[in-house]
Amino acid sequence: MKKIIAVTACPTGVAHTYMAAESLVKAAKEKQIELKVETRGAVGVENEITEQEIAEAHAIIIAADTDVLESRFQGKPVVKVRVAQAIKDPKGLIEQALNMQASDPTDYLKQVDKSKAERSSSRTGAYKHLMTGVSAMLPLVVAGGLLIAISFIFGIEAFKEEGTLAAALMSIGGGAAFALMVPVLSGFIAFSIAEKPGLAPGLVGGMLASQLGAGFIGGIAAGFLAGYLALWLKNTIRLPRNLEGLKPILLIPLIATAITGLLMVFVIGEPIKFIMDSLTAWLQSLGKANAILLGLLLGAMMAFDMGGPVNKAAYTFAVGLLASNEFGPMAAVMAAGMTPPLGVWLATMLAPRKFTQDERDGGKSAAVLGISFITEGAIPFAASDPIRVIPSLMVGSAVTGALSMLFGATLRAPHGGIFVLPIPNAVSHLGLYALAILIGTVVTAIMLSILKKTVR
Amino acid sequence: MNVNALLDKQSILIPLDISDKTECIQAMVDALALSGCVTDKSAYLEAVMNREKTGSTGIGFGVAIPHGKSAGVSKPGLAFAKLAKKTDWDSLDGEPVSAVFMIAVPEAAAGNEHLQILIAISRKLIDEEFRNKLFAVQDSEELIGLLQTI
Repeated sequence: MKKIIAVTACPTGVAHTYMAAESLVKAAKEKQIELKVETRGAVGVENEITEQEIAEAHAIIIAADTDVLESRFQGKPVVKVRVAQAIKDPKGLIEQALNMQASDPTDYLKQVDKSKAERSSSRTGAYKHLMTGVSAMLPLVVAGGLLIAISFIFGIEAFKEEGTLAAALMSIGGGAAFALMVPVLSGFIAFSIAEKPGLAPGLVGGMLASQLGAGFIGGIAAGFLAGYLALWLKNTIRLPRNLEGLKPILLIPLIATAITGLLMVFVIGEPIKFIMDSLTAWLQSLGKANAILLGLLLGAMMAFDMGGPVNKAAYTFAVGLLASNEFGPMAAVMAAGMTPPLGVWLATMLAPRKFTQDERDGGKSAAVLGISFITEGAIPFAASDPIRVIPSLMVGSAVTGALSMLFGATLRAPHGGIFVLPIPNAVSHLGLYALAILIGTVVTAIMLSILKKTVR
Repeated sequence: MNVNALLDKQSILIPLDISDKTECIQAMVDALALSGCVTDKSAYLEAVMNREKTGSTGIGFGVAIPHGKSAGVSKPGLAFAKLAKKTDWDSLDGEPVSAVFMIAVPEAAAGNEHLQILIAISRKLIDEEFRNKLFAVQDSEELIGLLQTI
């Protein structure tokens, strides 16, 4: 039998959320359909839908006038309406959900989307919190990095001339967007842990990390500190009911911000600044041999699990270093993240007999994902034959990462694939950088052509 | 369920004789102020009217539930009106309204217990049998008696 799940939510969260839920449950009962409704109202999230239930559901009904964390349902058919619609016509809505087509599993792009969604939904604990922070920070890094790059069109020192467009772009990108990077990283790590009460102490802790020179490592530490502190306060402080309202608005922000801030200033700020300074000093003085080793390592990590924790560790490391004006690892990481899908595509062209018809069709989509720096594009190939595919991808990516570091390529944006390459000054040593990507792609393709077995 | 903490007799209006939706909302806000839930009438009224603007709270079946979350509310509260004549409320089903629950929620959520009661009442309004009993109540005792059965 088809199972349906629904989410209801409204801004006030006492009336429509629950009436919509009740209407849907009632209509489902009449139609004898299995239905579970998650309500997101003034008393919080109730009857929360699990990953398992999302996976098993035929379709999802969203009846909401506020945010319901829709990204959970990626790859699933979704019927999305205003909350009132569920009260007005619950039966019609269920009917509509039942008639939705389940997504076609053979569609390559959807397959990639699905594995990405599964990846992000299976994240738990500290890793999930870290990723929430990183994904909140990324748009700032993209906007800031590219605006700074554009300011260099007018000359590398043009921004020093006050009142010019170059100076304005530099102050938007460098002075504002980049200055927000570490606070937002830290703030959203804390938000992910403790929800709203975590945000203020997290942002403040991140700001301090940035002011103290503790960089992204300081920001990550501040975010976890602030988040778990706010969560602990939220669960520990007990007040008489008529004073309960003071807790989220006065007590938690005050106490959590004060403690996080004091710990940053007096205890952990300095040691982390020392680590950050040593790291950047090491990166700046990196000899050719060590640069190649770092590139090899980052590259191999990018391909090892294609968007999984190891890949994200390398990626987060490189993005975090942008905040400290270190642009080399970012270039290596993006290049190495592009070659797995590109290499797979090239292999399907070089050795078509070693791939099924589906894989040959999928290869073209993989190429598009590759040039967009979506490493996950190689997952369907890796999943079907991991022992031969993953080492091929890792070797190609490691070569590309090492070459990018060797050529001294730098990248100021954390994403974008080939689409950032034409933006002036976003990438240095453009020609050699493209060559590094090309060589890694060829290495992966040749290894795949040799290692894969002929399909009969 | 103990609804006494939420629903003061002064905010039960049976019957309420008004000519339109706005007048009804005004009268009920006044009643909530009398019962002590609403401390700043104009702030709360604004919240309720803004809520109506985003979409009518006439949920159909002759029932409306205007509501607002505002700093002008000191504690969660409920008002009920049984209208002397059916009144247009731009309801979802286009039908005029004869029973109105007004819900007041403070800006800073205070204790979930009261909210849970409001939520239980909202859920119950979807139940046809409950609605029929609601339309039949004649005075505040009967209403409180009915709500206590939830």
